[in-house]
Amino acid sequence: MPKKKTDIDSFEYSYNRLEEILNILENQIEEISLEDVLSYYQEGLKLLKICRKKLNEAELKIEKINSEELN
Amino acid sequence: MPNPLTITELTRDLKSLVENEFRNVYLIGEISNFKRHIASGHCYFILKDENSQISATLWSSRFNYLTFKPEDGQKVLVKGRITVYEPRGTYQIDVSGMQPFGKGDLQLKFEQLKDKLLKEGLFEESHKRLLREFPMRVGIVTSETGAVIEDFKNVTKKRYPVANLFLFPANVQGSGSIESVCKAIEQANKPEYALDILVIARGGGSIEDLWTFNEEAVARAVYKSRVPTVSAIGHEVDFTICDFVADLRAPTPSAAAEMIFPDKNELLERIDKIDYNIKIYIKNKVRSLSDSLNNFSNNYFFNRPLDVLNDYKIKNDEQYKVLEKLVKEKITSYKQNLNYKDKIFFNLSPDQTLKRGFTYVLKGDKIVSRKVILKPDDKIKVRFYDGDVNADVE
Repeated sequence: MPKKKTDIDSFEYSYNRLEEILNILENQIEEISLEDVLSYYQEGLKLLKICRKKLNEAELKIEKINSEELN
Repeated sequence: MPNPLTITELTRDLKSLVENEFRNVYLIGEISNFKRHIASGHCYFILKDENSQISATLWSSRFNYLTFKPEDGQKVLVKGRITVYEPRGTYQIDVSGMQPFGKGDLQLKFEQLKDKLLKEGLFEESHKRLLREFPMRVGIVTSETGAVIEDFKNVTKKRYPVANLFLFPANVQGSGSIESVCKAIEQANKPEYALDILVIARGGGSIEDLWTFNEEAVARAVYKSRVPTVSAIGHEVDFTICDFVADLRAPTPSAAAEMIFPDKNELLERIDKIDYNIKIYIKNKVRSLSDSLNNFSNNYFFNRPLDVLNDYKIKNDEQYKVLEKLVKEKITSYKQNLNYKDKIFFNLSPDQTLKRGFTYVLKGDKIVSRKVILKPDDKIKVRFYDGDVNADVE
């Protein structure tokens, strides 16, 4: 399946980026400067907030598509 | 000598006898040598049992009513009438209806289509696509009324309200349902909807109710879908051709929602864990940096100035002590001096003098220190140590 380009505002993007940041902090923390670590941290905090907000506040959207050919 | 019959006469007599007698017969037999005439669409085959056989014809118009595809070797129940074909002097059965004998009609049809599509490779594992882990746009082809869409909506709302659902309504049963489902699948594949997953769903029912999803046209529409498909037809025990063709089979429509959407609560837990871990890593980083800072400051060269400073501190303390001692001594000497002066002062007070027998004179409140102050008849007080005596001046 061709990978779709991910919408930057989507939950998927935020969540995947979070895991990425965690992964970097987990495996490369020795090599990263304190400034970078802190900027990852800040980004992480922001993404955590976004993810929680999206999950807790999302309202399921449902759209009915009427087929013109049939009606 | 009796009049001989012509062959035509005999055949005509036989025809009328036989066709009158066998207007409505049921036969059970095995199909053999089945042939369908390409141009006319009429079918010709042999029906036989262990000992005998009979030719059979099935007209094109009737063939279209069959619910299965006749094949050699199949045991069938046939309804028809016996006809005599005069030019050849043969008889056969003109089939008006035919159904598989033994196995259920639909079951057989199901297995035939399954075999056919299997051979064509429509069920190949290599054709199955992975579903996106966080589907954002999910289409569902199903009836717009009924429990299925409600169940699907409710499960989705509970698990992953982040998603956008698109309902492509279709008749899922009865006449027109095949076309309706195929159209809906086609519609859902339009790029404008950019679907991640397409669910084809129908609630439980009899094999006849679910039959639309065992139709070849529907199976091919599912196979053709560019959007990865999930088949969710009937109950857990129901398998349809659609299930085999789709990228994923879900036992029920609700189960489909559970299979394709991540669970919100699990995600929140995972997010909490990420939160915790990120903080741990940051804390450790800061700690390890401050530890290495401490290593620097504990280094000999960094510590020497501190030693010097400490020396000064000690000296300073000592000097302070000396100073303190000096001040204390000074204070003590002042105190002693003061005591001494106090004593002298005490001895000089009038009371002590009065005790020794001296008196002094008061006029009003004032002490009389000179004789000239007093005039005759002035009232005065003579103060003794133990009290005053009033007196008049002469």
